[in-house]
Amino acid sequence: MSVTVFGIRHHGPGSARSLARALRESQPDAVLIEGPPDADDLLALAARGSMRPPVALLVYPPDEPKRAAFFPFAEFSPEWQAIRYALGNEVPVRFMDLPQAVQLALPQPSEAQADAETESPPATLRHDPLRLIAEATGHGDGELWWEQMVEQRRDGRDLFAALLELMAALREGTAKDVTSADEREALREAHMRQTIRRAEREGFRRIAAVCGAWHAPALSRTTSSEREDAALLKGLPRRKVAATWAPWTNGRLTYRSGYGAGVESPGYYQHLWSAPSEVTVSWMARVAQLLRGEDMDASSASVIEAVRLAEALAAMRGRAVPGLPELNDATRAVLCLGDDTPLRLVAEKLIVGETLGEVPEETPGSPLQQDLSRAQKRLRLPPEASDRILDLDLRRPNDLERSRLLHRLRLLGVHWGRVERARGKGTFKEVWRLRWEPGLTVALIEAGAWGNTVHDAATAFALEQAARTQELPGLTALVEQTLLADLAEAVGGVVARLQEVATLSDDVPHAMDALAPLASVLRYGSVRQTETRLVRTVVDGLITRVAIGLPDTCASLNDEAAEEMYPRLLAVNGAVVTLEDEGHSGLWHSTLERMADQRQLHGLIAGRCCRILFDRGLLTAEEASTKVGLALSHAGEPEQAARWVDGFLRGSGLVLLHNSALWEILDGWVTSLGPDLFTQLLPLLRRTFSTFTAPERRQMGERARKGPAAHAIGSSAAHDADADIDVARADRVLPLCARLLGIELAD
Amino acid sequence: MSAVLREHVEEQFAEELQELAKSDTRARPPNWKLSPWAVADYLLGRELENGFRVSPKYIGSRRVVETAVATLATDRALLLLGVPGTAKTWVSEHLAAAVSGDSTLVVQGTAGTGEEAIRYGWNYARLLAEGPSMAALVSSPVKHAMEEGKIARVEELTRIPSDVQDALITILSEKTLPVPELNSEIQARKGFNVIATANDRDRGVNELSSALKRRFNTVVLPLPETVEEEVEIVRFRVEEIGRALELPAEPPALEEIRRVVTIFRELREGKTADGKTKLKSPTATLSPAEAISVINNGLAMAAHFGDGRLTAHDLASSVVGAVVKDPVQDRTVWREYLETVVKERAGWKDLYRACREV
Repeated sequence: MSVTVFGIRHHGPGSARSLARALRESQPDAVLIEGPPDADDLLALAARGSMRPPVALLVYPPDEPKRAAFFPFAEFSPEWQAIRYALGNEVPVRFMDLPQAVQLALPQPSEAQADAETESPPATLRHDPLRLIAEATGHGDGELWWEQMVEQRRDGRDLFAALLELMAALREGTAKDVTSADEREALREAHMRQTIRRAEREGFRRIAAVCGAWHAPALSRTTSSEREDAALLKGLPRRKVAATWAPWTNGRLTYRSGYGAGVESPGYYQHLWSAPSEVTVSWMARVAQLLRGEDMDASSASVIEAVRLAEALAAMRGRAVPGLPELNDATRAVLCLGDDTPLRLVAEKLIVGETLGEVPEETPGSPLQQDLSRAQKRLRLPPEASDRILDLDLRRPNDLERSRLLHRLRLLGVHWGRVERARGKGTFKEVWRLRWEPGLTVALIEAGAWGNTVHDAATAFALEQAARTQELPGLTALVEQTLLADLAEAVGGVVARLQEVATLSDDVPHAMDALAPLASVLRYGSVRQTETRLVRTVVDGLITRVAIGLPDTCASLNDEAAEEMYPRLLAVNGAVVTLEDEGHSGLWHSTLERMADQRQLHGLIAGRCCRILFDRGLLTAEEASTKVGLALSHAGEPEQAARWVDGFLRGSGLVLLHNSALWEILDGWVTSLGPDLFTQLLPLLRRTFSTFTAPERRQMGERARKGPAAHAIGSSAAHDADADIDVARADRVLPLCARLLGIELAD
Repeated sequence: MSAVLREHVEEQFAEELQELAKSDTRARPPNWKLSPWAVADYLLGRELENGFRVSPKYIGSRRVVETAVATLATDRALLLLGVPGTAKTWVSEHLAAAVSGDSTLVVQGTAGTGEEAIRYGWNYARLLAEGPSMAALVSSPVKHAMEEGKIARVEELTRIPSDVQDALITILSEKTLPVPELNSEIQARKGFNVIATANDRDRGVNELSSALKRRFNTVVLPLPETVEEEVEIVRFRVEEIGRALELPAEPPALEEIRRVVTIFRELREGKTADGKTKLKSPTATLSPAEAISVINNGLAMAAHFGDGRLTAHDLASSVVGAVVKDPVQDRTVWREYLETVVKERAGWKDLYRACREV
């Protein structure tokens, strides 16, 4: 009866190779692996052909999938090789770590504490002791050390015995400081010992125990007695957990999760695993191929030089074989001509890699699906195959939450509901049309890659989306969506990205387009109870940029471009008015003043700038008259003047009725036009005047008929109208008006 | 003290080179004065076992120097790239001095550099008198280096016309210099190599042909990584130059240098120092060398027109002058920066006001 403990390096291809060889030689009749026993039932799935690493075991409490623990496996993970060996040779295989059912029930170390722990040296030592040893011996990377110290010696099992001794010495040196994490470690190691004892009792003769190198010495039975271990493990809390396989990506292997041991270069490790000889040459060849695929020069001669440089660098740094840092330096100097940009491509495509794993169809349901069905139950919103209209009142918490759920799903591309009526008069109403189609299940599984709950997935998705979007309008829309979906974390990221793009964008029109929706977001924020402070900083920045950039942007516009700019100008002005911020108004108005006086500015825009200033009371009637007079003076081109009039008056001519000086200037200008010019400008003026309301036009007509003399008698149009009122008939309206206004009539 | 204004580095640092050679026990490539390890130590600075201190010549990433030295050791030519003011020439000079003990074999690249500067010219008097012979050739620095197995330096490679640049191709790949007129050739001795420097921003002037590019290993000298590093470099140089000009002003307060360096770094990197806000970058380079000249300018202003103390007012005009190189584009960038960053920053009010007045 014997137990062999194999201390390995998580995700170490060298370890994997040594382990596979050692297992083949020792022919164990049972394999125990450091991993969650909760997932023992799922191990058989690993033998399926449709299971392709990288994959991860997910263990999660069904009522709180957010706290799922992941156990990723790549092809080059020693654990994966052990599983495959056991399944291939029909040897029983089990996990032996402390069950997640217990670990998840134990009190969680608080966030801050967890952070501190990952930074403290003992924690790193525990996660990847071989890396530290490698660094201490000047190897830079644990794999390199393994490669040199282990692989080139080819002495199978004795190696693991030597490692065991090394780790035992290490553990003695660091055993003194005990933290809460250490208590957890003690529990885990006790459970592993107990699992090994149980297997022995079941009659297995040659047991192979595979665990992280750090734990290896603790697994010998002499560390503590069975009774002590049993006492330690007694009475631990448990909670219900579920487990499943999930497809994983190389990118996600780089995170610290599950074992707490992420790998920085899974793609490179995969290469070490699949190309055990001529590592440097074949790596450089792959780099060259990648660069050629991207239309960059990478000749065979350069590859040769790159290999030579990598080897020379390794020699200079006292390493027998080039490691990733030397390979990268050589690639940069020879193949990338000193440029870091192609190197980033290499990092993305080769060093990390883009492999996506696959899992068999029989794998149990994903946590995201379960999270959604829980939410559906809680919000009484069952999926139905037929159309259903849902009328939500956002002032009610339940409805607000339903709206959030639907918006989040929409963000994830799960189009369960469609908004029927876009923002109407009331900001607290929302109408959805719901219909659950079978295809949505697939969309949901796809979305599962983004997270385990609808909230997390939508957040991750929105952030990713934001990082990909380069254009302001797309980002503005995304900000609106994330605010509607109430994803506080995502809002921060998306807004930061928006800020970034807005700064770098020279496109003032885009910035102007972005302003109006953001301003309305600020206004509706209170109804939706979302954090809008962030949006305010972006709006501040956008207004500043628009105010600075607008004069140059408008410097030379043709008629068409000016027409496009006109609504934007109004929209920005509307946003500034809505926000009622003195700083904004000041900046905006000084810009408008500059533009109103800017030469060569298109008349439509210049006129409108004047009008806005006049409406806001920043120009007195006198100053406005001066400006109109200047614009319409004979020195300028008549077309330009007509455009100016258009810009100044479009929408409302009331200003003409109230200000006789203006009226006279305009009247004088029109009168002074020659017959040809008049015919030419008439359509333009007609178009302007057609935007006035009918009563305005009627009053203007009347005033024009009376001629200039009329003004001497009555200066205001309202005054003129007084005379025509039939008092008796007017009185009959008063009672109804009083009722409408809810006041008592004095009489 | 020697009477020349500036000594060659191999003379200036002769003692350091000697000490390094003494303690250097590692293998040296043929004709190298030091081993690659010792060359790297010479550039980066180190305390030797006998207690002798080798001063650092290049303050920055070790990786850069190691790659450069390893390149020379594999007899590949080295191309040092970087924006103006990142110590390219400085590094190439020291590399040549450390490797072959001679930094004087230089070709200064200009638009007027001819082929004879890289290959050879003719001594016409001799050519006419004796007919073509090796003795009638006039050597170039490159030819010298080949014959003696030393490092030749080519400054500002991208300023040399393309057809002249290409004269280097045969020299670099076959290590021979053909002399077709004499139906002969000059073969380089071991230890020969070329270090070229080129300006990142000027790539467009005479871009290297891909055939030539392929024969160089390229090392980019980066701008200083941290504010502290850059402030230190600027302070050191400003004091040195200030002494030379004998300006009657007080040495600048570290705070003012830090402000100028911060402005330059932020605009150069396109984001604020805290990394929170993105900014537009102007067309100007804004290297440490520019910061040095801005501070010097400000000192001169303070000395001759002010009260001798460097204030924001003295700096404002030269800062704006350094940033705004393109009157339209850069002005927008600068105004945005002024309004969104400088205005808000605590303690920068004086600078904001001074810059607004310019």
